[in-house]
Amino acid sequence: MKHRLQLEPIIAIGIVLIIGSLTMLLAGVSPIDGFSALLFGAFGGRSEIGETLVQTTALLFPALGICLAFRSGLFNIGAEGQLIMGGLFAGALGANFNAPPIIAISAMLVAGMLGGGIWGAIAGWMKARFGASEVIATLMLNFVAGFVALALVNGPWKSPLASGAETAPLLPVAFLPSLLPGTRLSIAPLLAIGLAVVIFIVLQKTVFGFDLRAMGDAPEAARRSGVNIARLSIIALGLSGACAGLGGATIVGGMLHRFNTALSPGYGFTAIAVALVGELNPFWICVAALGFGALESGGLAMQASAQVPKDAIHVIEGAIILVLAARRYIVTKRTAAV
Amino acid sequence: MTLALLIGVVWLTFVKATPMIYAALGGTLSERSGVINIGLEGMMTAGAFSAAVATYYTGQPLFGLLIGIIGGAIVGWLLGFLATRFKVDQIVAGTGLNILCLGGAAYGLMLLFNQPGASPQVHSMGENYRYLVWLAPVAAVGMQWFLSATPWGLRIRACGENPKAVAAAGLNPLALRVMAVTMSGAFAGFAGAFLSVGELNLYSDGMTAGRGFIALAAIIFGRWNPLGAFAACLLFGLLQALQIQLQGHISWLPTDVFEALPYVAALIALVGAAGRKAAPVADGVPY
Repeated sequence: MKHRLQLEPIIAIGIVLIIGSLTMLLAGVSPIDGFSALLFGAFGGRSEIGETLVQTTALLFPALGICLAFRSGLFNIGAEGQLIMGGLFAGALGANFNAPPIIAISAMLVAGMLGGGIWGAIAGWMKARFGASEVIATLMLNFVAGFVALALVNGPWKSPLASGAETAPLLPVAFLPSLLPGTRLSIAPLLAIGLAVVIFIVLQKTVFGFDLRAMGDAPEAARRSGVNIARLSIIALGLSGACAGLGGATIVGGMLHRFNTALSPGYGFTAIAVALVGELNPFWICVAALGFGALESGGLAMQASAQVPKDAIHVIEGAIILVLAARRYIVTKRTAAV
Repeated sequence: MTLALLIGVVWLTFVKATPMIYAALGGTLSERSGVINIGLEGMMTAGAFSAAVATYYTGQPLFGLLIGIIGGAIVGWLLGFLATRFKVDQIVAGTGLNILCLGGAAYGLMLLFNQPGASPQVHSMGENYRYLVWLAPVAAVGMQWFLSATPWGLRIRACGENPKAVAAAGLNPLALRVMAVTMSGAFAGFAGAFLSVGELNLYSDGMTAGRGFIALAAIIFGRWNPLGAFAACLLFGLLQALQIQLQGHISWLPTDVFEALPYVAALIALVGAAGRKAAPVADGVPY
């Protein structure tokens, strides 16, 4: 098996490239121009690389959370709402909590994890207590999170100075330090990589992680071996949400420096693709996040320089998910045949 | 005065429920055949977009409606094909289709009209959209009859309960599932077209606003029965109607809280429906 040339990834990449090329041809742009504009826009210089890493990080946090949930057999489609709630909590705390930077930043990040974690745990509780489908619960909670955030930033938490719907700015002590001066890049990517390491260790090296994976792979066996499925579901979805919430906090603390509803253009949904492309493995998810981050940041450049609408990248992302879902079957079938 | 208000709320309830009813009827068909249809939202988007485009170029909203049905059906077929031929995880594939359809429609807006966010206004059905509202209860009764009293309905239900038995009876459960999911897409496409050329007169990004997902909650709350889903959709429609009618009158509650009501109601319905084992046994299980 090990020596066999793995054709499936190549076929999968080929299909995705063909779909990408077709979308560009539809816009009357040669795929070579389109893809080179995309690549240059993503990696062409210091500010481009900085922006790619910003997008990478924003995708990485929710993708790691989704990885944790999926490995536990729980479909968390609610990373978007968890990200928003995390950003909201972080923004509220960061604007009011004056302390030395290290404490203020830590508190803000914890607030973000708490916000996202509560939002994830609600879905977990609904599943554990009432047997509700976590898929639909997390989907609905995305919308509720959006409206809760809107109600707060239009109402009680609205900044008296701002014209739009946003909270008061963070106190400067809560700003995340910059990593690449002159770009929007904060130290958030380092935190994200740290989180990836933590999740890898928890999943692979701890009893708790083993229980999570057992619940995902063989829930009945896990239950009979004494795992409290109900409790673990709540914890798993809570932790999953906390990862996304932490991501929301780093966007607020690193870039926006306040909470507003432009926090996420759908990172929580794209992150599902990132987690699946990364085969639900924290290391490969980091790699996949870089790829998708490049798509997100290069897509804007591609729109400006090659006249391909940036929405093309969402078509490509959707295609990637479908191709991957199908590829898994091809792989299993071939492995089974050997 | 109060009677007029009451009639207004009832009518608005039906109008708001209509797209969810069509989507939920399609979703019920798909789930009864054994395929979970998270892609309803994307199929509605495909229907809404293609209907608006077809109407823009022909000026015929009825033709647009037809194209919307076909657009939704194509996406439905794709899910059915992936779910049977490749045995994909249906939730993952449905999520992928949702992203693909939303992105594709946004992309199409740029290509065709070179404007982001929304299409130009099209020649909508005007007042005639009310026929589609009246058609919704008829469709619900029809679907209930189809599933419970016709041979094809029985075959589709059998696919969702025990596909092996269907195969043993000499039928092809995979083909039946593809057919059911394609029909499901057609219904969702019709629901989307109702939004873009019926109730409104354009396509705009995100106009389905989670109605496909609420329809999924309605299916569960309605215990996978078309009439049950219909009733659940009316409940969600009532909340949307109340939201529209009341938000001007109750000033101490922010608008955004009202707008969250249908989604919160769907969550509560999800909890309320739980514990009652009514789902088709093989729902979501590839054959």
